[in-house]
Amino acid sequence: MPPYTTNFVSFEHNDNSAISWHAPPRPIVTSVDTIELGTCSPHVISIPITKANLHVRSFTFGESAKVAEVAENKIASPSKPLQAAHQVAGSTRIHPPADVIKLDDRLEYLLQPSLESLLAERSLAFPSRPFPFQFEGIAFLYPRHAAVLADEMGLGKTMQAITAVRLLLRRGDVKTVLLVCPKPLVTNWQREFNLWAPEIPVAVIQGDQPKRLWQWQLPDAAVRIANYELLCRDRDVFEYLGDDGRPSVRFDLVVLDESQRIKNLDGTTNHVARSISRRRSWAITGTPVENSTDDLVGIFEFLAPGFLSPEMKPLSMGRMVSDHVLRRTKEQVLADLPPKLFREAEMDLTPQQRESYRLAEDDGVLRLTELGDSASIGHVFELVLRLKQICNFDPATGDSSKLERLTADLEEIAVSGRKAIVFSQWVDTLKRLAGRLQQFGPLEYHGRIPHRQRETVIEQFRNDPSRHVLLMSYGAGGVGLNLQFANYVFLFDRWWNPAVEDQATGRAHRIGVDGPVTVTRVLMLETIEERIDRILQEKRELFDVIFSGAESHRKLGLTQQELFGLFQLKCPADPIAVAA
Amino acid sequence: MQESQIDTETGKHSYSLGFLTVVDHQQHGLFGGYLVLNTTGRPMEFHCTAPIKPNHAQQILYGPTLEPFIYGEQIGQTLLEKAGAQPMFVCIDHPALLAVREHVSTPVALVLPVDDHQTTENTYRLDDGTPMVHFQHGSNRLAVSERADDHRLITEHLAELAESFDLVEPFARIREAIDEAQRAVGSGEWGVGSG
Repeated sequence: MPPYTTNFVSFEHNDNSAISWHAPPRPIVTSVDTIELGTCSPHVISIPITKANLHVRSFTFGESAKVAEVAENKIASPSKPLQAAHQVAGSTRIHPPADVIKLDDRLEYLLQPSLESLLAERSLAFPSRPFPFQFEGIAFLYPRHAAVLADEMGLGKTMQAITAVRLLLRRGDVKTVLLVCPKPLVTNWQREFNLWAPEIPVAVIQGDQPKRLWQWQLPDAAVRIANYELLCRDRDVFEYLGDDGRPSVRFDLVVLDESQRIKNLDGTTNHVARSISRRRSWAITGTPVENSTDDLVGIFEFLAPGFLSPEMKPLSMGRMVSDHVLRRTKEQVLADLPPKLFREAEMDLTPQQRESYRLAEDDGVLRLTELGDSASIGHVFELVLRLKQICNFDPATGDSSKLERLTADLEEIAVSGRKAIVFSQWVDTLKRLAGRLQQFGPLEYHGRIPHRQRETVIEQFRNDPSRHVLLMSYGAGGVGLNLQFANYVFLFDRWWNPAVEDQATGRAHRIGVDGPVTVTRVLMLETIEERIDRILQEKRELFDVIFSGAESHRKLGLTQQELFGLFQLKCPADPIAVAA
Repeated sequence: MQESQIDTETGKHSYSLGFLTVVDHQQHGLFGGYLVLNTTGRPMEFHCTAPIKPNHAQQILYGPTLEPFIYGEQIGQTLLEKAGAQPMFVCIDHPALLAVREHVSTPVALVLPVDDHQTTENTYRLDDGTPMVHFQHGSNRLAVSERADDHRLITEHLAELAESFDLVEPFARIREAIDEAQRAVGSGEWGVGSG
């Protein structure tokens, strides 16, 4: 910008005079200020907007569908019309067991559709709609290679196991299944398979030895049922080796029903069960622990050898097995199941019974005292059994307070058209009761009733309105039977452990029962029965510690001291086994 | 049961369904999950992303377009391109995932929650007012973009699918699988990405 100047003119003024002025030429001076503006270059910050390279993990599940198709073609479709499975609503998810470690395998389970969808997809129909907790049980068994379904009796363990087996077979995950159960339950399992899985071929191992050998080696039998006794008798077949050097009799899945039968780690049944070549092992029992934690160790030696040890404390054992054992009680899952009501029928011995009891006890205790350190558990049991028998009936006169009470109760039950089951541990007691309860049309179900007649007895009890009472032994009638049409159960004498008693009461208190079940526990005051009752309570504590995770400070199980303490005797030094 | 078929051009399987979702994990960020099912509901493929977290600058610069960008382009497109199977259509459960449709040729349907009672005849509007074509298959309620021909294509494909097929349920599987994968792998191995 060029600088420039300006001239400023000055004027003079005088009154009365002419204005004169002069304007001397003067240069105009202009001052100039210069401001430097300079040039501005802005600073630019760039924020890159790039697409991040995302890490992706990929999993593919291509094979299961193919396997399912192959299996589907091998098993015939159901022949009788059943409720369509797709009508079964629900979304029970199959979660991977804790021992499935690989992420791919875990995701394959997690990404499967709901159990209900899988069943619908296979067109697996049901004669009646299972309860949600039963779907949970199936979803528990299905993915597991080692599992114990330990639901309380009456919750449908059989149906859950059959449906899980059915799904595994239909999907081709297993091809050969062996189911082992007590002999009296073989027909029950056959019937249940026919009901819940009618398209699955089932063969029962039976007959003479050559026939059984042939049956064991049948290549195409999907499900074979054997009883424990036969299993032990045919134990050699599990050692035969085929041309490939592998056992010629082997199974994809072995299911042991009433698996408390293998609780004794050193027992033959346990050894034989463990010797069977198999890929999956399931145990079904309402009473995984009857006496002590050793029972559970025995079962787990079959499921997963070495997983448990007898030295473990109950609480830690409970934690260890938590992913392998599913235990639900009726109270937990069947809010609308009619209640099971307990009545403690405590009464006194008749004078004759009291006298006989006193004499027997005094005599027995005297003998045990004389034996001193040589007194054995057998001697104690002998005395206990003798006293318990007297509590039932006076040996001299046949007097019985229990019978009087039972007769009075049965009269009321019969008048109302109801039915009752009476349990005793002795067949002689049951026979005696049969003779004295004729007015109630008694039926007997115990070890002296041939197996072929037992089904008829149950049918008669179910259908004949004049038959109001079924006399059952704990041994023969304790497991596997569905007697939900009986509303009354009497425990005429008490068994050694509460689990067996629970099994017995569970025959009647199960799904389908149409009203409350009243369980009468008969107890003679100031006798051995009262003392045993206290021990039974302690055994219940043991069960709760393992399967509910609750702490307990009570002494567990039946100790040597306690057994001898029944008679205020000092126990010998050597340890003894827990009572059976 | 529907046989799986091979597309002679792409070599990919047809007669499958894709399910795409994003899980917003409070600690780790956004996980994408893509599950391909056959028409009986069985899993064929599963793909999931490492977690991703948009930074502050992105949040400012992308503004309201951030979600569609992260969900649709970054996560959705990446996952769909990873998959081997070419599904009949892809189901999504979040409107922001609709943006994936701009990057893939597969029709995309927004599966509406059962309790969403926006019951305008054939129209459904997103929160921003965008109109969608709304229709029903069995108990499933779906919405697709008006722009593409997705409504016709998806309706044709749905005819091959049982009405009882629950299109909401698979998203729960994905969420559970992402949770499992995240637990198993740990955020350390995958790292936390940034948008």
